[in-house]
Amino acid sequence: MKLFNFSIKINFLMITLLFIAACNEKLDTPPENTKFTGETDYTITDNMVLPLLGAYAEFQSRGWEDFPMISVRGDDVNAGGLGDQQDFTEEDKFNYNKDYWMFNSVWQNLYADIFKTESSMEQILKYKEFAANPSTADEYIAEAKVLRAFLLFQISRVWGAVFIPTSSDPSDLLVANLATKDEVMQHISDQMDEVIPLLKDMHPNERVDIPGGVTKYTALAIKALANLELKNYQGVADATSQIISSGKFSLEPDFYELFKIAGKLNSENLFEMQFSDFGKGTGDNMIYPFEFFGPQGWTPAVSGATGGWGFYEPSIKWIKFMLDRGETTRLQTSVLFTDRGITEIESDPNYSTLPAWITNTTPSGDVLNDYARAKFASGKHYLPSDQLTPGRTVYGTNKNFTCIRYAEILLMHAEALTQGATGSGMTADEAVNAVRDRAGLAPLTGVTNGQVMDEKFAELAMEWGTRYYDMIRLGKFSELSYDGRTFTEDKAYLPYPQIQVDLLPALQNK
Amino acid sequence: MKQKLLEFKFKRLGIAMVFLLLSLNIFSQTITGIVTSAEDGMGLPGVNVAIKGSTNGSMTDLDGKYTINVNNPQDILVFSFVGMETQEVLVGSQTAINVALKSSEQFVNEVVVVGYGKLNVKDLTSSITTLKSGEISAIPSGQAMQALQGKISGVQVIGNGAPGNSPTIRIRGLGSYADADQNPLFVVDGMFYDNIDFLNPSDIATISVLKDASASAIYGVRAANGVVLIETKSGTYNQKSKITYDGYFGTQVAQNVLKMANAEQFTTMAMESGSAADISFIGNAMQRYGRSRINPNVPDVNTDWYKEILRTAPIQNHSLSIDGGGQNASYSIGASYFAQEGILAMKNDYERFNLRSKLDYKANNWLTVGTNTVWSNATKYSEQASAWNEAYFAIPIMPVYDELNTNATPTKYSSAEYLGYRDGKNPFPTMDFNENRLKIMKLLTTFYANIDIIPNKLSFKTTYSYSLEQLNNRIVGLPYFVSPVLKRDDSYLSKSSALGTRNYWDNVLTYTDKFGKHDLTVMLGTSYRDEAGENLYAAANKIDSQDERLWYINQVGEANVLTSGVGDGGYREYGFSYFGRVSYNYDNKYLVYGTLRADGTSKYQEKWGYFPSVGVGWVISEESFLKNISQINFLKLRASWGRLGNDKVDASDGATTTTAVNTAINGQLVSGAVTTSTFTWLGWEVIEESNFGITSKLINSHLSVDADYYIRDTKNAVIPIQYPFGLGSTRKNAGQIRNSGFELALNWNNNITNDLSYNVGLNLSTLKNEVRDLYGQPYIDGGSAEFRQRSIVGDPLMAFYGLEVAGVYQNDAEIAADPVAVANDLVPGDFKYKDQDNNGIIDGSDRVVLGSYFPSFTYGFNLGVNWKNFEFSANLMGQKGNKILNRKRGEMIWTNDGNLDADLAINRWHGEGTSNSYPSSAGLRKGWNQKMSSYFVEDGSFFRIQNVQLAYNIKGKKMFGAPIPAIRISMTAARPLTLFKYNGFNPEIANGIDTQTYPIPAVYTFGLNVSF
Repeated sequence: MKLFNFSIKINFLMITLLFIAACNEKLDTPPENTKFTGETDYTITDNMVLPLLGAYAEFQSRGWEDFPMISVRGDDVNAGGLGDQQDFTEEDKFNYNKDYWMFNSVWQNLYADIFKTESSMEQILKYKEFAANPSTADEYIAEAKVLRAFLLFQISRVWGAVFIPTSSDPSDLLVANLATKDEVMQHISDQMDEVIPLLKDMHPNERVDIPGGVTKYTALAIKALANLELKNYQGVADATSQIISSGKFSLEPDFYELFKIAGKLNSENLFEMQFSDFGKGTGDNMIYPFEFFGPQGWTPAVSGATGGWGFYEPSIKWIKFMLDRGETTRLQTSVLFTDRGITEIESDPNYSTLPAWITNTTPSGDVLNDYARAKFASGKHYLPSDQLTPGRTVYGTNKNFTCIRYAEILLMHAEALTQGATGSGMTADEAVNAVRDRAGLAPLTGVTNGQVMDEKFAELAMEWGTRYYDMIRLGKFSELSYDGRTFTEDKAYLPYPQIQVDLLPALQNK
Repeated sequence: MKQKLLEFKFKRLGIAMVFLLLSLNIFSQTITGIVTSAEDGMGLPGVNVAIKGSTNGSMTDLDGKYTINVNNPQDILVFSFVGMETQEVLVGSQTAINVALKSSEQFVNEVVVVGYGKLNVKDLTSSITTLKSGEISAIPSGQAMQALQGKISGVQVIGNGAPGNSPTIRIRGLGSYADADQNPLFVVDGMFYDNIDFLNPSDIATISVLKDASASAIYGVRAANGVVLIETKSGTYNQKSKITYDGYFGTQVAQNVLKMANAEQFTTMAMESGSAADISFIGNAMQRYGRSRINPNVPDVNTDWYKEILRTAPIQNHSLSIDGGGQNASYSIGASYFAQEGILAMKNDYERFNLRSKLDYKANNWLTVGTNTVWSNATKYSEQASAWNEAYFAIPIMPVYDELNTNATPTKYSSAEYLGYRDGKNPFPTMDFNENRLKIMKLLTTFYANIDIIPNKLSFKTTYSYSLEQLNNRIVGLPYFVSPVLKRDDSYLSKSSALGTRNYWDNVLTYTDKFGKHDLTVMLGTSYRDEAGENLYAAANKIDSQDERLWYINQVGEANVLTSGVGDGGYREYGFSYFGRVSYNYDNKYLVYGTLRADGTSKYQEKWGYFPSVGVGWVISEESFLKNISQINFLKLRASWGRLGNDKVDASDGATTTTAVNTAINGQLVSGAVTTSTFTWLGWEVIEESNFGITSKLINSHLSVDADYYIRDTKNAVIPIQYPFGLGSTRKNAGQIRNSGFELALNWNNNITNDLSYNVGLNLSTLKNEVRDLYGQPYIDGGSAEFRQRSIVGDPLMAFYGLEVAGVYQNDAEIAADPVAVANDLVPGDFKYKDQDNNGIIDGSDRVVLGSYFPSFTYGFNLGVNWKNFEFSANLMGQKGNKILNRKRGEMIWTNDGNLDADLAINRWHGEGTSNSYPSSAGLRKGWNQKMSSYFVEDGSFFRIQNVQLAYNIKGKKMFGAPIPAIRISMTAARPLTLFKYNGFNPEIANGIDTQTYPIPAVYTFGLNVSF
C-alpha cells in the first residue's frame, strides 16, 4: 500500500516534469498583432502603392502651426490673435524666442514627415525586385522624393542651414554637418532633375491611380522654387518654360472659387493637400485645421457653421497696396473685412472713402462681426458656410490646401525673364498679363522686374510666405519694416529650437 | 535511524493499544474548562482544544467553555487560536482546566509569506513589512494600498482621489524611467497583478511588502519595483464558524481647495496685461452682466469655479464573511459591496461587488487540495479629468448659467466666447455632456494540490491559477450648444471591450529538515505563465441622446459608424521560470538565505535572465554573552544582496513596424502604410540592491527597533532617448540609476493595566535618487519640450531643468544697468534670471537642475490607545524635499486669457517693490518670462493627519440572558488636515507635474463591526 502510494506520488511528479519541459518552447513565440516590416510579403506588388499612400497621408496631416510659422513674417499678413500666442506675434515682429514651442513643433512636424518619406522609399525599393514593372517602383520613389523636397524646401527657407536626411535613420544625422541653404536648394534642384523623367507626364488631376498626386510638373515647380532661392534665374526659367509649354495648366477664371470647393484638383493647381468629408454629413472626416484662419465672430449664411480662432490677419499695408492698384477680385477674395477693420482703413484720410463693395459681408453672404483679436481674416483660407456639406459645421471642412498653383509658375517665369534669363512658352509680358487678366486688370507691356514683384505681392499674398522670402532674397528689407517693425538681415532665419540644439551636436556651435 | 523509526512506531502502536484498552473503562476523564483572553478576561469562542499527538479535539463555545475526553493523565492539551500564543497543559489529575491565552505579540513563532512559501520572521535576513487586516480596513478607502500610506518606511503611497483609481506605490524610490507603469508587483494568492483595485480591503488577510532585492528576487523579472504579497482571508481547521459583518458609511469633503483670483483680482490682472483684447473682454462682461456695486469697474459676477464643480460625496462599504473549518476542511466565504461617489459634480462614481471563497481539504493523509476564487464586478464612471483644468482657467467674471444665452441647449450655460474670448471657459458642458463608463470584471481562481511525499519533510505543491479580466468601456458624448466653439453637433458613442486572461502553473518542491542544531529548508520550483489579451473597439455618431437603452452602435445607420474608430488588437506573452531557495540556520543564531531565479520571456530579444540573491543574519541575542541581558529580548543583524529584473518595460519591437494610415485622395478614403524608421532593441533592465539592517525587541519587548540602509542600483536602465526631428523617442539600455536610503521604524507598546494599553510608532525614511552613469552621454532629456526634465549624471532622474529666477526687475534704472535686460527689451516686472556662466547672456547654458519630484525625506507617526472598551488611533505623515511643476501656471504659454490662482494675482509685480518672485501681469504673457524656470517649480513638502479613529467595543455582554454578538462601533476621520505651501490643492502628484489632479478628499465615516 505504501509503495503504491509512493509510486502514485512519483508518477504525478514525473508527469508534471514532462509538461513543464514542454512549456519552454513557448518563449520563442513572436508577439501577436505586431506586423514587423520584415514580415511584409514584398512579392505582393499590388501593395507597393501602400507605402506611397502612407507618405501622402503623413504629408497631408499637417499640424495647424506649420503653415502659420512658415508664412507669417511677410508684409502681406500679421499674426492676428492679439493677446494670444504672444511669441507667434513676436515672430511676426522678428523677435524670436528659441524656446517657443511652435518653433520646435514645426521643425519636428516637417522633419518627421521627411523621415517617413525616406522610409516609404526604402519600402517601395523592397517591392521593386518582385514588381512586374519595376519602373512603377521608380516612379513611386520619385513621387515620395517630391513630397520630401517640398518639406525640406520649407525647412531651409525658415532656418537656412539645415540637415539633409539621407535615410530613414535619424541617428545618421547626430554626426552630420549642416548643409547651407544654397546646398539644400541645389540638392533639391538636382533631385528634381533626377526624378522628372520618372514621373507621369500629365496634370495631377489627370492621374487615375492617385488623382491630385505628384507628377513631372510638380517636380518642375519645386525645381523652379529651389532655383529661385538660389537666384539661378535661368534654372527657374528652364523649369517654368517646360510647365507652360506643356499646355496642361490654365488659370481658373473665377479667382474667388479657386480657393473654395471648386478649386479642388483645379486645372490651376500643381500641388495641393487633399481633404474630404467624403460627401457625407457625418462619419469620417479628413480636415485641415482651417479654424486657425477663421474669423472669431461671424454670422454665417448657413447657421450652425462655426468660425475660427482669429489668427492670420491680412495687413493694412497690403490692403492699401491693393486699393492703390484698383484691385477688386483679388482683394475681395483674399480679405474678409470687419467693420472695425474698415473703420481703421478709413481713418487714413487717403482712404476715407472705400469702394462700396468693401463690407463685412462676404460675396457668399457670411457676415463678419467685430472681434477683438483681429480686424481682418484671410479669404484664401475661407470656405463659405453655404459650401459646407449639410451636417458639417467646422470651418473649412472639405476644403483642400493649395501648395503650388499655375499663377505662381507664370509669375516666377516672368520674374526669371525680367532678371535676364531666357525661356520659352511665354514672354514675361504674356505671363504677367495672363494673371492680371484673370484679376480684371489691364495688360502691361514691357514689364519690369519691379512690376513682376508687385504682381506676385498682389497675387500670392497669404500663400506660404512667398512675399517674405522674395524680399529676403532680393534684399528689400525696408519692405519688411512696416507698421512699427524693424527688420534687419540677421533676422532672416529663425534660431534653431533650443530643444533641437540640446539634441543635435551640429547645432550647438551655431 | 530506520531502526529508531521502527522502534518509535512500535512504541506508538503499543501506546495506542494501551490507550485503546484503557479507554475501555480503564481511564477516561472528562475535562471541562473555560478559555479566556489574557487581555480582557473575556471568554474566547472558537479556540481549538486538542490532545497532543492525536486527532481528537474540541472547540470552545461562545462563552469560551469546552469539554474534552482524555484517556490518559499523561495527555497534553493544546489550546490554539489565531493571533494567540498556543498553550500546552498536562492533564494530570485535573478535571477542570482554565486557560488564559495571550496574544502573540512576540514574533518568535510568527511566520511571514515570502513568495512560494513561508518563513519564520526570526529567520528573515531581508526587509519585509507586513500589515494585517485590522490595519488595512481601518482606513476608509476602496483601495487597500491606501492603508499603507505613512505606515511603512521606504514605501511611498501617492493617493488618488478619483473613485476607483489606485494610488501610486513606490518602494524605495524609482529605479526605472517613468514611461512605464512604476507600481510594484502585486501577488494575490500567487497570481501576479499590476494593481489590486479589484480587491475589497476587508477581504485581505495580510499585505506584505518585500522591500529589498533579497526578499523579492524570488520574483525575478517582475520584482524591479518591489513586490507586495497579498493573502486573502482563509478559514482555519477545527474552528467554529464565525460570521462577521464589517461596514461603514461616510462622506468625502474636498480639502485645501485652491483659491483662485476673484472677479476683482482677475479684472486687475486683465487691465494690467497690456492686451487691448483682454481689456475689452472685461468691458464686454460688464455690458452683459452689469457692474459690481462695490467696485463699478468690475463685472457684477464673481464665480468661484472650484466651488461650483465640487460636491460632498458619500462613501460606503459593507462586507460579510463566514469562516471556519472542521477536521479535514477549512473554508472562508465572503461578499462585499463598496460604493463611492466622486467629489466632482458629475456622473462620477465607483461601485464594486465582490464574492470570494476559499476551501482547503485534506483528501487523505498525504494529499491536500484546495481552491480559491475571487470574483469582482465593478462599474466606474470616470471623471472628466479636464474639468479640473478648465475650472482653473474659467473666468470669475462669468456666471455658470447665462439666461441671455437663449440659443443654448439643453442647458443655458454661459460661454466666454460671448465676451470675446477664443474659447468657452466653462467646465460644466464637459462635465454634463460626457460620460465614461467602465465595467470591470475580474475573476481569480486558483487550484492547488499539496502532496506530502515524506511527511513533514518533503512536500510537493502544484498550483494552477487562472485570471480573467474583462473591461467594457462606453464613452458617450451628447450633443449640446452653448456657443459656436463650445458645442457638440453630433452625439458620439465609442465602445471597447478588452479581455485579458492569464494562466499560471506553479510547481514547488519543499524540503524541510532539522538535524542537531541545523535547521534547513530547501525549495525548488518552476512557473509557467501564459498571458494574453484581446480588444475590440468601434465608434459612431448620431446615437439617440435621450434614451440610454439605445446606446448601441447597432442603433445608428451604417453611414454613422466611424471607420477610423474601429479597431482590433491583441497580445500574447509567455514566461517560464525556474527558481529555488535555501534557508538555513544554525542554532537559531546564524542565518543564511539564498534564492535564484531564471526567468525566460517571449517579450524581449534576450530570452533568459538570471536573478540570484543571498542573505546572512546573526541573532546576537542568542549568543551567551547577551542572553542574560534582560533589556535585549531579541537582536539580529542582517545583510543581503539581490538582483532583480524589470519587465514593466514595454516589450520591444526589435525591428521596424508598419501601421496603416488613412488619407483623402480625390474624395475617397484610402489607406496607406507607414513604416517606423526607429525601433527598440532591449536587453534586461537589472536592479541590484544591498541591504543592511537590524531587527530588535528591547526592554521586555516593549520597544521594537527596525533599521535598514539600502543601496539600490538600476543597471542597463531603459531610458527613453529623444530623437531629434520629432521622431518621438526610443528606449535604450542607456544608464545606471541609484536609489539609496535609510529607514527606521520604532514601535513602543505597553499594557499599563488590564484596562489601559497603548502603542506609539514612528517611521522615517530618506531617499536619494541619483543618475550614476549614462554610458558616455552627459545628459538625457525628458519631459515635455517646454518644461524640460533632464537626467544628468550625479543628479536625480528626470530633474526639472531650467533657468533660476534671481528676482524681478523693479525699475528702469535696474533695466538700464543690466545689459541682459537691454538686449532683450525687458521692462520692470520681467524676470531677472541668474547668469550661471557669467557671460552676460541668458541662454540655454544658464539652465540648471531645479529640483526633483522625489521626496528626500518621508515620515509617519502613529499612536494607539486602548482604555477599557475604547480604542483610539491616529496616524500622521509627511514628506519633504520634493518639487512640483505647477503646469497650470505653465499653461499660460499656450493660452493666456484664463484665470490664475489668487496667490499669483495678489503677489504679482505691479510696481516697484511689490514682488521679487512673480512677474507683472503683462510679463506673464511674454516669452521671456515663460522659459522653464524656478518660477514654475514649487516646494511639494506636506504634513498630514492621515487618519484618526475612535472605536468602542462591546464584548461578552448578555442581553435578556442571551449573549449578544461582539460589536465594534467606530468613527474615523481620514485626512482631515493637510498642510503645505504648494499653490495647488493637492501636493500628492506622482510624476511631479500638476496639470489636472483629482483632489484627495477628507473622509469622515461611521463604522460598525459585528461578529458572532
